Amino acid sequence: MTSRYRGHGGFLTRWSLGVLASIAMMATAAAAATFVLPPLVQPASSEHHEGKVIWADLVTPDVAGAKRFYGELFGWTFNDIHTESGDYSVALLDGRPAGGMFQRAMPPGERRQPAWLTFISVRDVAAAERHILAQGGKVLSPPRSYPDRGRQAVFADPQGAVFAVMQSFSGDPQDVLAAPGEWIWSSVITRDPDTDAAFYQNVFGYEVFEIPSNDGSTHILLSTDDYARASLNTLPADVAKRHPHWLNFVRVNSATDTATRVEALGGRVLVKPFPDRHGGLTAVVADPAGAPFGLLEWTDTDSKESAK
Amino acid sequence: MKILVSRRSMRGLIVVLFAAVAGCVAGGGYDGGVRVGYAVDIYEPGGYDYGGWGPGYGVGPPRRGGDQGRADSHAAPHRAYRPASPSRSMPSLPTHSRGR
Repeated sequence: MTSRYRGHGGFLTRWSLGVLASIAMMATAAAAATFVLPPLVQPASSEHHEGKVIWADLVTPDVAGAKRFYGELFGWTFNDIHTESGDYSVALLDGRPAGGMFQRAMPPGERRQPAWLTFISVRDVAAAERHILAQGGKVLSPPRSYPDRGRQAVFADPQGAVFAVMQSFSGDPQDVLAAPGEWIWSSVITRDPDTDAAFYQNVFGYEVFEIPSNDGSTHILLSTDDYARASLNTLPADVAKRHPHWLNFVRVNSATDTATRVEALGGRVLVKPFPDRHGGLTAVVADPAGAPFGLLEWTDTDSKESAK
Repeated sequence: MKILVSRRSMRGLIVVLFAAVAGCVAGGGYDGGVRVGYAVDIYEPGGYDYGGWGPGYGVGPPRRGGDQGRADSHAAPHRAYRPASPSRSMPSLPTHSRGR
């Protein structure tokens, strides 16, 4: 009996070691699956601009193709982050982070498309989540922290437009005029800008301005810190397939030339360049995988008007 | 008998621990996929149609100091949002470039 008991003890020891080894292996796998993203701002700053669009991530089935396209179009370069759970690439313009690209296979059998996901600055993701839910929004991806980058979550507004919030651990980017090749503007294209404006105002504390229009639709401007942050526009009434969405715009020197280049690189022009309210041209294009984004001409003269 | 019970208990413990730790690695995505690592794996509904855009459909920011003015939201019968004070001028983009 004694010897059998001793044998049992040996068995237990071996199994205990096995259990510990299993836990260690799984913990290692879990750690490998965690993305370690670079900080949004380097060196870190104490700036926070709640309501400002501070980041954009492209979710695409073809990061390699996206890198070729955006690299050729805007001169972006890339830092790749490989993990067991997927590939992420940070796009850089002159060494500054311009956006992220995340590889993911397209869900089979679903009519979905790649998109640039808009990240809005918040001081507290948990508080933002409470406000969003209270105002009729929906959680698509719950709050999660990423070392160095910050805490973020993905939501849909009451009309279904998808956006994300980020509490950056390194502060927010400065309020400066975007350089050509950087994101300069964002719009929410939605069925009911009036009620959507109330939603975003209640969540992010925006000042809301209505812009006169001569096409019968509603144009609304969202502002914090005395800067325009985004616009809300009515989905054109004659559009059959309508999905409210956020659309981000890259500053370009010539929307016409850039749109031509988009087609040469395998993308599509969805809206041909036309004059926007500030006098410059705007256009909507899609990358080769179908992710839409806008082009917006904005000259230094447009900015210097303020000095008058 | 005791040995048999202990072995079963240990095996059960391992299965539970494996399942618990695996649950930390992968979770179900909201769109039906499996979400691992980076939780922004979103594909939007397909079929954006940009017909109807054109002159008059302004989406960009107004030029600061321009002559666009603002609509009188306070004169409107009802707005879901709280319009900015009429004394506030229309905001625009930052004017200074990086490093200036």
